Amino acid sequence: MRSIKSHLSLIFPMVAILMGLEFFIAFNRTTKGYEESLKDSYAMLVVAKDEMSIDDFKAWDKHIYKVAEIEKSKIIDKVDLPFKSSDISNIDKDMPNFYSIKLNKYLNNKELEQVKKNILKSDRVTRVETFDTLHNSNYGLFSSIKLSFQTFILFMTIIGFFLIVKQMEVWNFMHSERMKVMDIFGASLFLRSKALIVMAIVDAIISAIIASIVFYTIQNSWIKGNHIAILEDNIDGLFSINDVITLSFASIIIVLVAVFLVVINVKEE
Amino acid sequence: MANIIVAQNLTLSYERDEEIIKNASFTIKKGEFVFITGPSGSGKSTLLKSFYGNIKPQSGTLLMGGLNMSSIKKPKLQELRRHLGIIFQDYKLINEWTVERNVVLPLWIAGYSQEIQRTQAKRLLHHVKLTGKEHKYPLELSGGEQQRVGVARALSKNPFLILADEPTGNLDDYSSNVIWDLLENACQQLETTVVVVTHKIPTVFNIPYRHFTIDELGDIYEVH
Repeated sequence: MRSIKSHLSLIFPMVAILMGLEFFIAFNRTTKGYEESLKDSYAMLVVAKDEMSIDDFKAWDKHIYKVAEIEKSKIIDKVDLPFKSSDISNIDKDMPNFYSIKLNKYLNNKELEQVKKNILKSDRVTRVETFDTLHNSNYGLFSSIKLSFQTFILFMTIIGFFLIVKQMEVWNFMHSERMKVMDIFGASLFLRSKALIVMAIVDAIISAIIASIVFYTIQNSWIKGNHIAILEDNIDGLFSINDVITLSFASIIIVLVAVFLVVINVKEE
Repeated sequence: MANIIVAQNLTLSYERDEEIIKNASFTIKKGEFVFITGPSGSGKSTLLKSFYGNIKPQSGTLLMGGLNMSSIKKPKLQELRRHLGIIFQDYKLINEWTVERNVVLPLWIAGYSQEIQRTQAKRLLHHVKLTGKEHKYPLELSGGEQQRVGVARALSKNPFLILADEPTGNLDDYSSNVIWDLLENACQQLETTVVVVTHKIPTVFNIPYRHFTIDELGDIYEVH
């Protein structure tokens, strides 16, 4: 009974950490598409005196990854001007060059301002329009959801880790006498900690299996049964078989670090 | 005969404490039986601990089987310990392991097969008169029986040196006699060097021995 309690004391916080990790992975996977569409739908406008190449823009700021020149004729077409065609050709000649710029990621307001400043450092650029109001409203909502979710996961992970450390202290107390005796008789570090390592790895794998079963059930029973459209659209991103490997690997690393901390804290008498 | 322990101007102390053993010089040869006596707190156990590398010399030289204990690295120390038999006053048995498993601990550490471990455990438990108690746990045994398990463990790998710290302290006469007989036999028949720290040398002892004593100031003298 005491042994089961000892195992559960490690398994519960480990499952909490793994579920946090899986939520993080699933959230990033399902929101990646949305983030991509936000990024793709956004563009800055740059007005320049001379013709510019993509390399000119990339040299100014690392976030610029795509540049498209807006044809002057299209701009003129959109503007209702009471001029003759000969006048229009003169306007065309005197007009500056317009560029639509796409960025490699979705930036916040401060970063956008920095990009703008970097571009305006060039004498060839006369104006930069960031359309930051639209950008900010989209980005603000998205990033606040993401941040609050990540904060929750971080909080869960910290609590889980503290519980694992507490359990490790109990293990330390339970195993230190045995490890001291083995050390006196010349056992290597691995041999001294073998029992702990085996126990911890078994608990780590059990935790990974429990976390995987929970997510598999959410994906295949709960979401399908509840017909939640936004989740049903991204159902494949919620859980994949590769996640079992990721969770197992993460849990084994966590317990090995914990075991190592226990073993190095066992002092000789 | 080969030197097993060589101490030259050996001084021992715990961190920041005053010196416990001062400028000790002695040599213990292969096959010798040595008693170390002295009043409580004189440093007998500290000296014994330095022999298995639990305490490093503060100054002077201590050679164990030719290894310098001042500069010995952990892997070499582990190797040395695998060739020692150590007996403690408080037994230091692993309570969650059976008697049989405790006895063969040095063999298990050295990687011997299960079959050899079982055979050796049976033989040793017969020697220490604990046949039939293989599957008991230490806490199910009396103090005398636990110490006999400790002695069997110390003898299990035929060590070149046995270090015993008050092996018969608080034990009944029967268990004490069994332990002295086993240590005498190991010394006489296997030429194992035996160093015993004790308050009192047994009145009946059947083999030649050397006797060192430590006074309250931490000085060591050879008495016998």
